[in-house]
Amino acid sequence: MSNTTIAPEKTEIQVEKGWAGQSVPRKEDKRLVQGEGVFVDDVKRHGMGYLFFVRSPYAHAHITSIDVSKAESIKGVYGTLTGEEVAAVTDPFFQIAGAPGGNIQDFALAVGKVRYVGEAVVAVVAETRELARDASELVEVEYEPLAPLVDARKALDKSAPQLHEEAGSNLMWQGTYEWGDLDAAFAEADRVVKIDELHFHRFNSTPLETDGALVEYNRGTGQWTLHTNNQFPGFAAIMMGPAMKCGLDKLRFVTQDIGGGFGNKITSHPQLVVCCLLARKLNRPVQWTEWRTDFHLSMSHGNERWFHETEVAVKNDGTLLGFRTKALDDAGAWLRYEPLGGVIWAQVTPGMYRWRHVRVDFTQVATNKAPVSPNRGYSRLQHLWFTERVIDIVANELGLDAVEVRKKNYVRADEMPYETPNGCVYDSGDYAQMLDIALDLIGWDGMDARREDAKARGKLLGAGIGSTLDSGTNNFGQSRLINPELQFSGNNEVATVKLDIFGEIVVTLGTTPQGQGHETTAAQVVADILGCSVDDVHVRAGHDSYWNSHAGFSGTYASQFAVTGLSAVKGATEMLAEEIKKLGSVILGGVPVEALELAEGTVRIKDNPEAALPFFACGAIINANNAGLPEDLGVTLNCRYVYRPPFQVPDVERKFGNLTLTYAAQIHAVVVEIDPETGYYEIVDYAAVDDCGNRINPQIVEGQVMGATAQAIGAAMHETFEYDEEGNLLTPNFYDYHVPHALDMPPLQTGYIESPSPFTPLGTKGMGEGGGAGIHAVCAAIQDATGAIVTDSHNPYQRVWELLHA
Amino acid sequence: MDVTVTINGTTYERDVEARKLLIHFIRDDLDLTGSHIGCDTGNCGACSVLLDGVLVKSCMLLAVQANGAQIETVEGLADDGALTKLQQAFSDNHALQCGYCTPGMLMSATALLRANPHPSDDEIKKALQGNICRCTGYWNIFEAVKAAAE
Amino acid sequence: MLLREVEYAKPSSVAEAVALLEGNEGARALAGGQTLINVMKARAASPDMLVDLNGIAALKGIELAADGTLTIGPMTTYSEILASAEAKARPILAQVCAQIADVQVRNRGTIGGNICANDPTNHLPPLVAAIGAQMTIAGGGGERVVPADEFFLGVYMTAVGPGELLTAITIPAGKGDGFAAVTLGVDGTCIANAAASVNGSLRIALGCVDATPVLIRPDSVDSVREAVRAAGLNPPSDVHASSEYRAHLAEVLAERAARQAVEKR
Repeated sequence: MSNTTIAPEKTEIQVEKGWAGQSVPRKEDKRLVQGEGVFVDDVKRHGMGYLFFVRSPYAHAHITSIDVSKAESIKGVYGTLTGEEVAAVTDPFFQIAGAPGGNIQDFALAVGKVRYVGEAVVAVVAETRELARDASELVEVEYEPLAPLVDARKALDKSAPQLHEEAGSNLMWQGTYEWGDLDAAFAEADRVVKIDELHFHRFNSTPLETDGALVEYNRGTGQWTLHTNNQFPGFAAIMMGPAMKCGLDKLRFVTQDIGGGFGNKITSHPQLVVCCLLARKLNRPVQWTEWRTDFHLSMSHGNERWFHETEVAVKNDGTLLGFRTKALDDAGAWLRYEPLGGVIWAQVTPGMYRWRHVRVDFTQVATNKAPVSPNRGYSRLQHLWFTERVIDIVANELGLDAVEVRKKNYVRADEMPYETPNGCVYDSGDYAQMLDIALDLIGWDGMDARREDAKARGKLLGAGIGSTLDSGTNNFGQSRLINPELQFSGNNEVATVKLDIFGEIVVTLGTTPQGQGHETTAAQVVADILGCSVDDVHVRAGHDSYWNSHAGFSGTYASQFAVTGLSAVKGATEMLAEEIKKLGSVILGGVPVEALELAEGTVRIKDNPEAALPFFACGAIINANNAGLPEDLGVTLNCRYVYRPPFQVPDVERKFGNLTLTYAAQIHAVVVEIDPETGYYEIVDYAAVDDCGNRINPQIVEGQVMGATAQAIGAAMHETFEYDEEGNLLTPNFYDYHVPHALDMPPLQTGYIESPSPFTPLGTKGMGEGGGAGIHAVCAAIQDATGAIVTDSHNPYQRVWELLHA
Repeated sequence: MDVTVTINGTTYERDVEARKLLIHFIRDDLDLTGSHIGCDTGNCGACSVLLDGVLVKSCMLLAVQANGAQIETVEGLADDGALTKLQQAFSDNHALQCGYCTPGMLMSATALLRANPHPSDDEIKKALQGNICRCTGYWNIFEAVKAAAE
Repeated sequence: MLLREVEYAKPSSVAEAVALLEGNEGARALAGGQTLINVMKARAASPDMLVDLNGIAALKGIELAADGTLTIGPMTTYSEILASAEAKARPILAQVCAQIADVQVRNRGTIGGNICANDPTNHLPPLVAAIGAQMTIAGGGGERVVPADEFFLGVYMTAVGPGELLTAITIPAGKGDGFAAVTLGVDGTCIANAAASVNGSLRIALGCVDATPVLIRPDSVDSVREAVRAAGLNPPSDVHASSEYRAHLAEVLAERAARQAVEKR
């Protein structure tokens, strides 16, 4: 049973209540508001060379020749690297997929063939940024163009161009998921609602800082130091080490501040390999900054997905029994993190609903477009949008109220923890209550009057709902559902907490934050346990794999810090607290540990607070004045803790098991007003309600909700990576890829409940990705306003106009 | 070409190529890395600076065009570590997450508040239209500017 | 980012600028730079020399004559137009300039640059065409005046030839103007736009539908849509709008701009 409370809004910081749960101002801010953050492009080294990539102008072509001699002959050009050289000194990247996708040969630069416009073909390094680009224009590459494959729906046609000969076809991965008893569900149904095609479009979060690196090679030790904004160095390292035939300790990753990630900075390992090889080849530091157009052309597009031949078994009263669908996923040209998208969606198989009978035939294909990789809400976004779309289409077909259909089918609070048909366990929550709050905030009851008012002004008003389950803390065992040969499972994260010689409390994290405020929330957890102020806790900024202890799954991705990161911090701090008490017990004359407490920066006797040993004395004794301490004391005041969530390896045969530990939830409601003559529309009201269990820092949580909302608005209305028939990206910059700006933002109201997770040490749930709710809410509102069924996640003005005039 | 500029009170004289953009000059040649680059089409505003008191995107003009100018960047806002009211309001209102757009955003808001110390909500939005933020959704930024204007 | 090599000159007079432009085949005038610098970043254009007009005082400023005629220097920025008391004589100018891009771009971008770039999505080409502005062009052979209807020749091409410079934009008095657009986001890039003017007969100029603004002169507001249809538009398709949708928007926006113009007359 979960315990859900609507927490009162907290404003003033009340120290006596503890630090966790309060909107403590962020420790990161002081440097960032003064322009004193250190982002990757800020890092400089003496004699460094600037790298510029020569990129493919073709979506699909054989490379018949490459001539770098003219480029290399220019004064100030340090050298070049071609795909042939890469293939000679590295192995292809490890593939997550088994056959057929696993057969493809992926190198850091194109070898023999290019497979999308913008693919890196040659790298040039020169004395200045401008010169590197000048020289890149002198690299002569001859191509023999091939027919491109742009529409994933044609990928498996016999006549389709083949991207990867080694794979035998464009099929990268295929799997059937079936749970429950579909036949029985469809037999029991009063009706079967059929939906021919739903389409979830290609976009990503376009972090404002693009990718980059400054890589140094130490010839003496054979080690590379990578100053980079890669957001998951653990993953990059296991991709790079085997390819470069070096141990992971030879790859030192260093970051301080990262200008947004959203998953899009996970798969920069090919570019990092190029930097490493050139740093070694040229014996100088190599600096690479990816420019905006490069990013759009080549980096981490979100998975485009179709849902075909969907059938939904329903009762006339709106009860949902089951569904089956055929999902087709467009991976783009390479499997850089794929085909994990083929299973990640299964974390949220039934969405928020009580469907017990589900079949999904999942097919992933390659196309001549930029490779897809994680993007905020990775793979669940698509699937949750699908489940929400189904709800509104079913409600429409049955003539029922979409709110009532939702409430009838939501997993109920009294069913929590709830096991889904595929064995995932929704830990806690109260979706119906969240919906009520959202409807209240948006003024749902007064919608008819607003509709009339809009009509009088010549506008069409519509309201819609969307929801997201922000599943967090992956069980990496789910990768075995894709490839049973893989030996990954579980998850882990590390923190160290130490008390230094002058009493400083120093925390290191295994994570690589990109604006999530880890320095602040970690300090809050530490301060509560040690009985000190957050100001006394020094959390090291950023990550350095030499200093910061880290585990196999360390990093900042997939909504997990509040669970994995903070649980590690809690564990390490509790170890330190015990050690301080042990030491206190000795120094304070043999008082039993149970009689001691930590408060006001001291360890002291509960009944006699005057008898206190300050932390600085503890630090000094252990570090610099330790003669005569008992031999068996066992106190170092330097504690490391690895948090390991309680997971089992999923059942590969049944594709069954708990795939993530926590399920934060969001419900969004929006109101749109459409100009029926043009299809132009604006969002005129927006409400977002969040439940991520205990909130360590409510302001940071709300900030994540707001950011995800803005990204959802952008994706729903404007943002799309669209290609023409030749495979040219039509939105390669912020001029054509319109991201919302200040004037685009509607009024927003946020609400929340707190349903603590029963499965996590702090009652927290990972959160931050919940943007999908907004994409759907906009679709639903457009459907409500126009009366036409919305089948696409992207609805620019023209599409809305077409819906009205079809 | 010789370029002399005064940035946050310090005068710099350098020989630069005519083709060099002002933002590259500020960041790479003068090591003032607080101003950022987020796009290559002049849309994002991360490179916004004040040029002779006028808010501009420093990726949209050449360094040589700034010859003789007084430039203000984010590094010049705080006085020896003491944050301006606006900078403090950004922190208080959680108006930044990754902090990458923040320097440009602060310069735009600074320009607004100098010209219009008590802007309306619409004026704030209009003043920040040229600065893209991908983290916050802008709402807390509006709040921060409002708070600083009070 | 990262432009090709280029020479830079900053003349202080029109004569000096014209001499530089005439004397260097690969030279281009640099106005506010809010389009040209971007194009150069993409290396889509690479002039050999930039002739920076920002040092020529004669190209700046707004004059209001007794008869209400406005003469605007092409190097006047959008922000200067917004702040100008004189420019209020023709209110549509500030109304439209306020919708262009953002503060930073308005602070730097100029009316002359906008017009001479003649990007089909720009705001000002259809506006000056509708309100019947006159363009003064200076060259080695002296000055000539070209009406806005004849000024726009193609995408990025105008009557300002090689070695020439736009030196003034003259706008007749009037208040009966309108402007309507469908933009990418609020006040974003135009997907389609239309400017209208009824100082005398009705003139409407349609933007984004052809290489140059398409001028139509319907008899009345009620016949605007018919007149747009009769113009036989074949607008370009792009990622934001199909040809058919743009043609439809042109009709709707033309009528809206015209109704606005009539209302304000």
